[in-house]
Amino acid sequence: MQVWNWHGFFTYLTSPYIFRGALVTLWMTFAAMVFGCLLGLALAVMKRSRHRALSVPARFYVWLFRGTPLLVQLVVIYAGLPKLDIRLSVTACAVIGLSLNEAAYLAEIIRAGLNAVPPGQIAAARALGMDEWQISSRIAFPQAFRLIIPPLGNSVNGLLKTTSVTSVISMEELMQRSQILVQDQFMVLELFSVAALYYLFMTTAWDFLQRRIERRAERPYRRLSSAGGAGLPPDLAAASRDAR
Amino acid sequence: MIVLDNVTKSYGGFRVLNGCSATIRRGEVVVICGPSGSGKSTLIKCVNALEPFEGGQIVVDGMAVRSSDVSLQALRAKAGMVFQSFELFSHLTILDNVMLSPRLVQKRPAQSVREESMRLLERVGLAQHAMKYPIALSGGQQQRVAIARALAMRPSIMLFDEPTSALDPEMVGEVLAVMGELAREGMTMMCVTHEMGFARQVADRILFVDRGEIVDDCSSRDFFAGRCSPRAQAFLSSAC
Ligand SMILES: Nc1ncnc2c1ncn2[C@@H]1O[C@H](COP(=O)(O)OP(=O)(O)OP(=O)(O)O)[C@@H](O)[C@H]1O
Ligand SMILES: [Mg+2]
Repeated sequence: MQVWNWHGFFTYLTSPYIFRGALVTLWMTFAAMVFGCLLGLALAVMKRSRHRALSVPARFYVWLFRGTPLLVQLVVIYAGLPKLDIRLSVTACAVIGLSLNEAAYLAEIIRAGLNAVPPGQIAAARALGMDEWQISSRIAFPQAFRLIIPPLGNSVNGLLKTTSVTSVISMEELMQRSQILVQDQFMVLELFSVAALYYLFMTTAWDFLQRRIERRAERPYRRLSSAGGAGLPPDLAAASRDAR
Repeated sequence: MIVLDNVTKSYGGFRVLNGCSATIRRGEVVVICGPSGSGKSTLIKCVNALEPFEGGQIVVDGMAVRSSDVSLQALRAKAGMVFQSFELFSHLTILDNVMLSPRLVQKRPAQSVREESMRLLERVGLAQHAMKYPIALSGGQQQRVAIARALAMRPSIMLFDEPTSALDPEMVGEVLAVMGELAREGMTMMCVTHEMGFARQVADRILFVDRGEIVDDCSSRDFFAGRCSPRAQAFLSSAC
């Protein structure tokens, strides 16, 4: 047996089977991030609440899901739900497991972001007559968002790789498909190198995207910045000329 | 018109406001002064219900601050507030800062709110900065925007909590000038400030607050002529 099989390597690299596995990884990451953010946001708001009936369950949730391995959570969902007569596909179990787990971490990130919004601006919004929902949606969340982009980006990067854990319930994503091929062709190194390249490509693409989002969100906070005259309606452009 | 009637408030066991009563008539400019920690901020924050209070009553333009049938929104639209550290929304442009609440809370049409907001920014001398973000402005400019933002709600009274205390000395004048102009135009104002020059020139009345009590309530002429309590006189001699 050869040490390294270039032919095998390139075969796998261009294999539609592996490629589709990578797509599964990608969309699972996306789905888990979306659901995780929604649930995480709810948990963050609950955790910050003055009412113990809200904050205690949220704290319990975060404690539980951050304190146990994702692998265990996936198996419990996959093997446990049928016992309650709830039958879900492997895909559903995988996405639910990932989302529930990610939500616990995102809740902490979002909570930290909300805590960092200057309380004086919240008071100013209140003094301007905004209700709590308006303050959250127009003042607190947009500002918290900017603060949490870096840790959020980190989570996406982590999640891209963490999805591989779902192979334990035989979810056919990138890692599981690589392992399936290993089992009948024994080219472990070649296959896993291909998988590594796919992961690298996805995380690198995300890094690039994240930097762009970050730069956009930072724009209001750079001293020499403005929304630009281009967006100025004609009457305003005139008004500001007059004032000058 | 603002009527404070025997307003009382505590933090835990600590009395912050102890039976504060005063009447501020329409168009009157009242300066509130007193030592640090005496309850000045707390007092004016009770007027627009940013701070709850336990005892007594506050009535703003016929609306009782704590009654359940007065909406907070209506009350706060009547009473504009300017804070010590400006508190402009840092993710919004200057113009959006001014436009946000009239649009969102009062649901006024975009076009007219935009025009009125630009007029207000012009009035405080900042129309050319409308499209910038707060961070690009100096403290004095930010505070003038904060005043324009409060005025955009068309309030009938304005509350100021040490509006110049966070400013570099050379920027104090520009903010006081805007406030002085507002006062001359007949705005009802309650203003916490240590600027005794401003108080002397612009205020009709001075409320001297010490340890949660309104110790003096007199015309600014009497106050600065020394016709006030010994405590206020001591404060004055240390402040000026
Ligand atoms: N959230 C709070 N909890 C407990 N005590 C408070 C709280 N806020 C204010 N206090 C106390 O209430 C008193 C009055 O505070 P307030 O901010 O109204 O004073 P002030 O006259 O505005 O002082 P300054 O000139 O320093 O702004 C102070 O002794 C302060 O320590
Ligand atoms: Mg104060």
